[in-house]
Amino acid sequence: MPKWTMVIDLDKCTGCGACIAACKIENNVPIVDPIQANEGRVLFWMDMITQYHGDYPHIEIDRMPKPCFHCEHPPCTKVCPVRATYLNPDGLVAQIYHRCIGCRYCMAACPYTSKVFNWYEPMWLDGNYNCFNPDVSLRMVGVVEKCSFCSHRLLKVKEEAVLQDRSIMDGEYQPACAEVCPADAITFGDAEDKNSEVYKLSRSYRASRIMDDLGVEPKVYYLSKRS
Amino acid sequence: MEIKRRDFLKLFGGISGALFLGGCGLDDVLEIPAKLVNKVKNGPRIETWKNTICSLCSGGCGIQVRLIDGLPVYIKGNPNYPVNQGGMCPLGISALQVLYNPDRLKHPQKRIGNPGSGKWESITWDEALKMVSQRMIELRNENKAHQVAVLGSDERGLMKEHIVRFLSAYGSPNYYQFSSLQNDFIPYQLVHGHSQIPSYDFLNAKMILSFGANFLEDGYSPIYYTKLYSHHRERQLRYIQIEPRMSLTAANADRWIQIRPGTYGAFALGLAYILIREELYDVDFVNKYTFGFEDWTDRESKKHNGFKTIVLGNYYPEKVSEITGAPSEVIIELGRELGNTPQALVLGGRGASDNTNGTFSMMAIQSLNALLGNYERQGGIFFIDEPPYSKLPPIVEDSIAKNGNRKELIATPRDIAFPLTNFSIDSFIKNILTDKPYPVDILFLMKGNPLFQSLNHHEFVKALKKIPFIVSFDSFINETNEYAHLILPTHTFLEEWNENSNVPSIGFSHIGIQQPIVEPLFDTRSMGDIIIDLAKKIGGTVAKSFPFENYKQMIESKFEGVYKSGQGAIATKGVKKLWLEYLQQRGWQIGRYSSFEEFWDQLLENGGWWNPIRKEKKLTEIFKTPSGKFEFYSQKLKSSIDDLVKKTIEHDSTQNLESVLSRLNILARGDTVFLPHHESVPYEGEMPLYFTTFQVLTNRDGNGANLPLMQEMFGYTVRYYWRSWVEINPITATEFGIKDGSWVWVESSINRIKVQAKVIPGIMPNVIAVPFGLGHTSYGRYAKGHGVNPNSIMRNLYDFISGKPALDGTKVKISLAS
Amino acid sequence: MQINFLKFLKKNSFYKFFIVLIFLFTVLMVFRFLPQKNPKQPIAYNHKVHIETAGLQCVDCHVSVEQRAFATLPSIEICQNCHAGDPLTESEEEKKLLSYISEGKEIPWLKIYNVPDHVYFSHRRHIIKGEVTCSECHGNINEFINPVSSQFIDITMDNCMKCHEERKVTNDCLTCHR
Repeated sequence: MPKWTMVIDLDKCTGCGACIAACKIENNVPIVDPIQANEGRVLFWMDMITQYHGDYPHIEIDRMPKPCFHCEHPPCTKVCPVRATYLNPDGLVAQIYHRCIGCRYCMAACPYTSKVFNWYEPMWLDGNYNCFNPDVSLRMVGVVEKCSFCSHRLLKVKEEAVLQDRSIMDGEYQPACAEVCPADAITFGDAEDKNSEVYKLSRSYRASRIMDDLGVEPKVYYLSKRS
Repeated sequence: MEIKRRDFLKLFGGISGALFLGGCGLDDVLEIPAKLVNKVKNGPRIETWKNTICSLCSGGCGIQVRLIDGLPVYIKGNPNYPVNQGGMCPLGISALQVLYNPDRLKHPQKRIGNPGSGKWESITWDEALKMVSQRMIELRNENKAHQVAVLGSDERGLMKEHIVRFLSAYGSPNYYQFSSLQNDFIPYQLVHGHSQIPSYDFLNAKMILSFGANFLEDGYSPIYYTKLYSHHRERQLRYIQIEPRMSLTAANADRWIQIRPGTYGAFALGLAYILIREELYDVDFVNKYTFGFEDWTDRESKKHNGFKTIVLGNYYPEKVSEITGAPSEVIIELGRELGNTPQALVLGGRGASDNTNGTFSMMAIQSLNALLGNYERQGGIFFIDEPPYSKLPPIVEDSIAKNGNRKELIATPRDIAFPLTNFSIDSFIKNILTDKPYPVDILFLMKGNPLFQSLNHHEFVKALKKIPFIVSFDSFINETNEYAHLILPTHTFLEEWNENSNVPSIGFSHIGIQQPIVEPLFDTRSMGDIIIDLAKKIGGTVAKSFPFENYKQMIESKFEGVYKSGQGAIATKGVKKLWLEYLQQRGWQIGRYSSFEEFWDQLLENGGWWNPIRKEKKLTEIFKTPSGKFEFYSQKLKSSIDDLVKKTIEHDSTQNLESVLSRLNILARGDTVFLPHHESVPYEGEMPLYFTTFQVLTNRDGNGANLPLMQEMFGYTVRYYWRSWVEINPITATEFGIKDGSWVWVESSINRIKVQAKVIPGIMPNVIAVPFGLGHTSYGRYAKGHGVNPNSIMRNLYDFISGKPALDGTKVKISLAS
Repeated sequence: MQINFLKFLKKNSFYKFFIVLIFLFTVLMVFRFLPQKNPKQPIAYNHKVHIETAGLQCVDCHVSVEQRAFATLPSIEICQNCHAGDPLTESEEEKKLLSYISEGKEIPWLKIYNVPDHVYFSHRRHIIKGEVTCSECHGNINEFINPVSSQFIDITMDNCMKCHEERKVTNDCLTCHR
């Protein structure tokens, strides 16, 4: 079974935010009302963490794009009372919106705060906002959502591969953030495939995982010379 | 009829859901063609991709638009286009929100209320064009053709040529551009002798030292530089950023050195001091290809001080440290590092150039490059060739046009100011208000939003109110357009033809072709076509100057030259510079096309053309100064200031060089005036804090503010959404009793603004920074009423020499707002 | 309004009002569960004639069924391939079609088989790889004289999953849900 893995090179990442924008548009993630957004209810599947180190004037800054980590042992799935979120055989932590009852247990369980909640009816561009991605359903108020590693793209790639009787090639399945990154900082692929870029990078001396001691085995690696 | 979104989404999926409304007889609201509605409802959902060029900023990235049954739904970077190689910035990704924006103008608008009242009436295109052309014909008949002015934004290439052509054929010399790039070339012109913005060989440089050039965020092409940065990181090159606030670029640099705003020139000369004193500069280059380094005597055997004398005498580390606030050890250490690194590049950017002393600072920064001998070498500075375009047929001028074109420019400073420029927004406004040298009868605004970006809002509004007829070409109503009498709605860039060639500072010549991705959604027209229409309506020689049916035909005729030249290649997969060079050496060229049509089709399919191979130039060829060398001592500056003095003395014999210099606010005297030097910014003494602004990638110069996603992402780095903030260092914050998140007043001698404080260590103490781009009073429902405009509290100051607005020339005080 | 209501309560004792409520509720429920009228297609299309007499295959009209997720309902362009000039029969329905064609208007077919927005269903995958025949879901269309107006198999998650189980195909949520 493939093990879809993302490697984010923090040495290359500039923190430009292209991944956030691409993610929001690709996945039809709603825009949140300005006041509510500032209350912390903003919906970013891909978020940007900013951290300052050191004392002035020797300041260093860490900008870290944070998607869902799609853990091997996800704590969020264990608390879901309706099995709306579960680990699928492809290793993706799925979120089935129409099953979700909005109890937000999974949000509390996620150590990486990767999940977001639709507090309101989604707000779209007034009138004729018709640039929805038809591959992704629109969520309604009261459900939890999160980064899916653009699983709708996997669906299409898989179908293509199955019909041509071959396996998925390295780089064929790319989430929107990896595709658009102007610094080529995000690499995505199958870590089980020994020839893949991701396999090599995730074993690099620079690679580490966030809060690895929790034992949840996240499938997002960060490359950095600093840590 | 009210349909809950969720209800109809159950019935029809996503895209068809939104279109379902259109199917319910609500076409008046949505104005989506019925044919399209039906197609999407029952359509096969065929996916296609089309290539074009993004034009939301000057960057010129190639984009691929994903269309489902002909309707655009997503934008990604074009992986084969050499500028961005598949990368995108957040603003470009959300370009579809421009296309589908509910505030777009759908018909020509005629203002019926007072200026700024927001009362408009829809009229037809025929009426609108008749209004404009009649007025223009009348003016021409009265021999007042020159009283038409165009205030453009950041047009380049063919579009600029097109507008200039229209004006020259009509008989007006008054074409100006108000944009952040305006007058950027002046410091380069002084030292290089020509106005081309240089390109930098980032890829081969070993170290990059940037003076306030936040090129990952607000440079000419942020994504091009992000790509280069990422290549750099693979090779672990050293990268140093000098500026008071930790911008995105500083955050990614290996080292961030803090200096006070407006002291870039002094810091650069401090480094020059170390290079000269420790003989770390390129002696050979300096001796052979520079002018004014050593002391020299002119033809009248008058002795002049050289750059070396001035630098060694005035810019020793302790003094520079006093001016800039950077410790002298840092200056010494950095100077040594700079001198000892082979192929170290020095860049200057917005932070250095947008101040009252910007020109001198930029000259000082460029002189570092000269000291290092960085011209035309690996990892250095070079100038790219123009694309091999064919020439347009000559402009036909009748006597009225000839007469009008000879008239004095309206934006030329009337008083003693800005000796090197024929446009500064300040003098433009003043001249309109005083009717000198003649009044403006028609003003054309070409997209852009100068009023929002200007520093003297009140005067500008007065000037706009004074002009009897303002015609604006734009897709939205913004602050400036509120004062227009007529708005001609233009296509968005996804609906029109254009070309985008040679973005300044990119290291190869390239042309991107911008083609319509969708049929126009509304009753709008392409800017190029409107101008041709107007020319035809005016008739006579003006019409004769435009022997084209439409703008697309003009682009095609330009491209014939590219096709015939056989140079370069269409940007396709796998065609890299090395491969092209290999082919060229063997007398081959890539892509022999059997006909122009084939070439054109290929071009549209792939999105652009580029030529990475550059003619090698000799060092003696690249400098076009009077001495033919890099000029530390700018003879051009000398002669233009001499001219200014001559002119002033003609009017008033009591004037002399001394009085002219003091009127120009230049404190230096003697030879120093014409050499790179530090001029202190005329700050007001009583205010305690330096005030600076910055642009963010999601908004740029304020034009991203009508996109909801960009508004939400405005402060994603500090977690403030849809609002402005002020960045304060913890030391300063404690001093003023301000906590993170508290609301504060930022007050200058002009005005005050209320913003939320963000206390972060990424800014120098005693400097505060507010992002630019929010605080719109117009520009649609998503832009209006969010955040504040920091330009509204700035003093009306300009660069002494180039007339660029001085964005860092204000000091402020700050207090808690209760 | 409020006063009337109070008067009503005073005049009639509470239980009478309650009975009225129950009555109204029952009427509502009866209407709710009455068999719904079948939707009427704009043209009474006869599948049998087209398949048996004209010798057409499913793919001839539902063109993208083997290439894409959506089978698509035919546009007039496809109808025009046969019904170009003079009418082929004396059928009233064909006249309707011809008038659509001459006006250049698309036929507003009603889509009977709909999957919700949050479900991905690919015809191509089911037909080519899954080797599911059309009739398994859509019934024996060959024999259809009347236009399609109701689902042969209810397009519900239960039915999807049942079939997937029988054929030992994955029932992972993400295979269909998106």
